[in-house]
Amino acid sequence: MLLSDLLKKTLVMVLAGGQGERLYPLTKERAKPAVPFGGSYRIIDFTLSNCLNSGLRRVLVLTQYKSDSLNRHVKLGWDIFNPAIGEYIETRPPQQRLSSDWYLGTAHAIYQNIYTLEEVRPRHVLVLGGDHVYRMDYGKMLLAHERAGADATIACIERPAREAAGELGVVCADADMRAVSLVEKPSEPGCSSDRPDVCLCSMGIYVFRTETLVHRVIEDARKDSSHDFARDVLPDMIERGDRVFVHRHEGGYWRDIGTLDAYWDANMDLVSVQPEFNLYDTEWPVRSRAASRPPAKIVFAGGSGGIPKAEVFNSLVCDGAILSGAYVCDSIVGPDVRVEVGSRIEQSIILDETAVGRGAVIRKAIIDKRNVIPDDARIGVDRGWDSSHFAISAGGVVVVPKGMPFPRA
Amino acid sequence: MAMILLVEDEESIRLLYQQELEQQGHQVQCAADGKTAVEMAREHAPDLVIMDINLPERMDGIESMAKILSDNKDIPVIINTGYSEYQDNFMSWAADAYVLKSADLGPLKEAVQEALAKREAS
Repeated sequence: MLLSDLLKKTLVMVLAGGQGERLYPLTKERAKPAVPFGGSYRIIDFTLSNCLNSGLRRVLVLTQYKSDSLNRHVKLGWDIFNPAIGEYIETRPPQQRLSSDWYLGTAHAIYQNIYTLEEVRPRHVLVLGGDHVYRMDYGKMLLAHERAGADATIACIERPAREAAGELGVVCADADMRAVSLVEKPSEPGCSSDRPDVCLCSMGIYVFRTETLVHRVIEDARKDSSHDFARDVLPDMIERGDRVFVHRHEGGYWRDIGTLDAYWDANMDLVSVQPEFNLYDTEWPVRSRAASRPPAKIVFAGGSGGIPKAEVFNSLVCDGAILSGAYVCDSIVGPDVRVEVGSRIEQSIILDETAVGRGAVIRKAIIDKRNVIPDDARIGVDRGWDSSHFAISAGGVVVVPKGMPFPRA
Repeated sequence: MAMILLVEDEESIRLLYQQELEQQGHQVQCAADGKTAVEMAREHAPDLVIMDINLPERMDGIESMAKILSDNKDIPVIINTGYSEYQDNFMSWAADAYVLKSADLGPLKEAVQEALAKREAS
């Protein structure tokens, strides 16, 4: 089958309903896929850009908890296709036609949307998470899936076994890349005796033949199970002899933005001189909601009237931001942020519409949207004070939640 | 002996099935529409449901079955309809058996025995 036919016969379902508890407080008021990332983007933009760049034109984003922000973002930023010709990117809240439960797991989310599958009747369903940052041509995976005559195909990336232990789903495959096991977060991963230090890790990206998918999620719904693809449905499919294959993703960069530290690390990668993930790749652009804002402005060359010199290095500065005589290094300054004279921002992420006062110091911190950081405030300087007022990640990143009244010293 | 919930809107067919199933030693409760079936399944926790598809009161048999399974996923459900076309409906695949209505009640009785035996075994 031609790739163009295959793409037309595939429905994408993006699972965007997770609570993202480990990203709290960034997920206090928004779903994980709606968390801002890289200054101008939301995490889901990377998945949706992959769909767009791969040529997929039927995309449903299955939402659930705290979905207002995500709905608004998808509606305002991704309403780019014409549903009149059967092309769309749309959010879909739980229909609750089959059950009054919310989604109990990834497989249950698909089960609850069986009526949608019936209406669209795609040949294949591409199941994606909405909370990973990576670049991937799904067309290659679909072709491999079709050629193998697979019931399901799991996208995998090679990772050192020590990274996968207790963290990722590990797939073992035979010489034809047919999966022989999938174990979620094993304590001792590793499949190959000649390369015990590396393993194939599931990226949470699956292609299913629609009929098999429907049968398996219905069966799963009637079992005592966590209703999860990685824990329940796919291991069961492998066990019973369904044709489950592995598609090795060669792209390299793939990050699960699962924790505050992973979020901070992935953002810090973007500001490095040669980032692993290149936002400026014109061959595979990442798009987002394009709001109309003035350009970023950096003022005060320094010297006059005792105003310190503005110095901005290794940083992403978004439209609408104004940095006045501030020192900003290894940081991301979001849209419409204001940074006042004499302040110092290092290794930090300042999200939209936050104002940083004069002489403030912010180190290794994430400042969520619409905060007002007072003059001379210190964040990331005194661990004791920080920990009594803010969340601090295991890796020592201080997080100031959205719109938080700043505590008095 | 099992307690069977029979969901069928046509009275003559309902009575016929009821008699046949009772003769086989089963206890039979009847519902004439999907909503009543959901309520009765909640109340009586039957061992098996026999479900027609074309039903009145704005809830067809497939939706009624889905609600019953949502309440109790262990109850076996046999779809019993005059139309084969509903097998194209994805949710009909949740049924333990799909039996076409016929003057010969043999296939339905067999499906009942099989579903009950499977339930017993599990």
